Amino acid sequence: MDVDLASMFTLVTIFNTLVVGIFLVYWGMVFVILYHLTRFGIGVQPKRFAALFLFGSLALSGVVVISSMNVDINALLPS
Amino acid sequence: MIKALLSIFRDSPNSFEGQKENEKVLLLLRPHFFTIAIRVGFLGLMCLVPVIVGLIFLQYFTAASWLNVFFFLSSVWYLGLWLAIFYALTIYTLNTVIITDSRIIDSDQYGLFDRKISELHSHRIQDVSIHTNGLIETFLQFGDVTVQTAASEKQFVFHQVPRPDIVKDVIMQVTAAKHTGIKATTPAGSTVNNPGI
Repeated sequence: MDVDLASMFTLVTIFNTLVVGIFLVYWGMVFVILYHLTRFGIGVQPKRFAALFLFGSLALSGVVVISSMNVDINALLPS
Repeated sequence: MIKALLSIFRDSPNSFEGQKENEKVLLLLRPHFFTIAIRVGFLGLMCLVPVIVGLIFLQYFTAASWLNVFFFLSSVWYLGLWLAIFYALTIYTLNTVIITDSRIIDSDQYGLFDRKISELHSHRIQDVSIHTNGLIETFLQFGDVTVQTAASEKQFVFHQVPRPDIVKDVIMQVTAAKHTGIKATTPAGSTVNNPGI
């Protein structure tokens, strides 16, 4: 079976993998921080921080997704 | 239903893991807000980096069709900053000292997976002293509270807590209550989260 490695590892695929990797690391960290705030936090303050952090993360993630979709990575290559 | 759900952001009984039955929390202390404001302020200044870069290189980005890439990298930068700010706030908010009517629990959070909890029973308290150092600590009324104990861990130091004078009074009340039987109370006009503020 012939596998065309060049078509598999296009610049778009690498860029998309990079974006997915960034999100995996980011949301992994978000989970750890939210877990700490809700599990070990005492009083009102950690709950407020957790809510603000979650909403901010969702909003910023949306912005990153939209801005990554607008990037034409192939246009960056010198013709 | 929604009102009840939102109430967790307004009221909290300040209960904690391992709290004994009928154990009353007198004070819940965190380092003074000024200590975290510096760090958050510095990270806030980092928000200006993409703005400055954008202002300087805007024409170049437009000419080279790199504007979308710049927006993408800026959004990733802000995502990272948001994480860094809340990492700092998490460490700050998990650094607590709980003073109850029978003991003091000091929880030091050094990192997300690096935590030290020390407990001190009020009958072991021998001496309490406060240390306010410098102009900022004097004006903003925060400082270190040192509790001398009879236990193996000789000293407990609560760093940069707000209103150390009130904290000292409450600890002394708790200690006196062990001997006299008169119950210690939170000072009038103060909240549990931030004594006297």
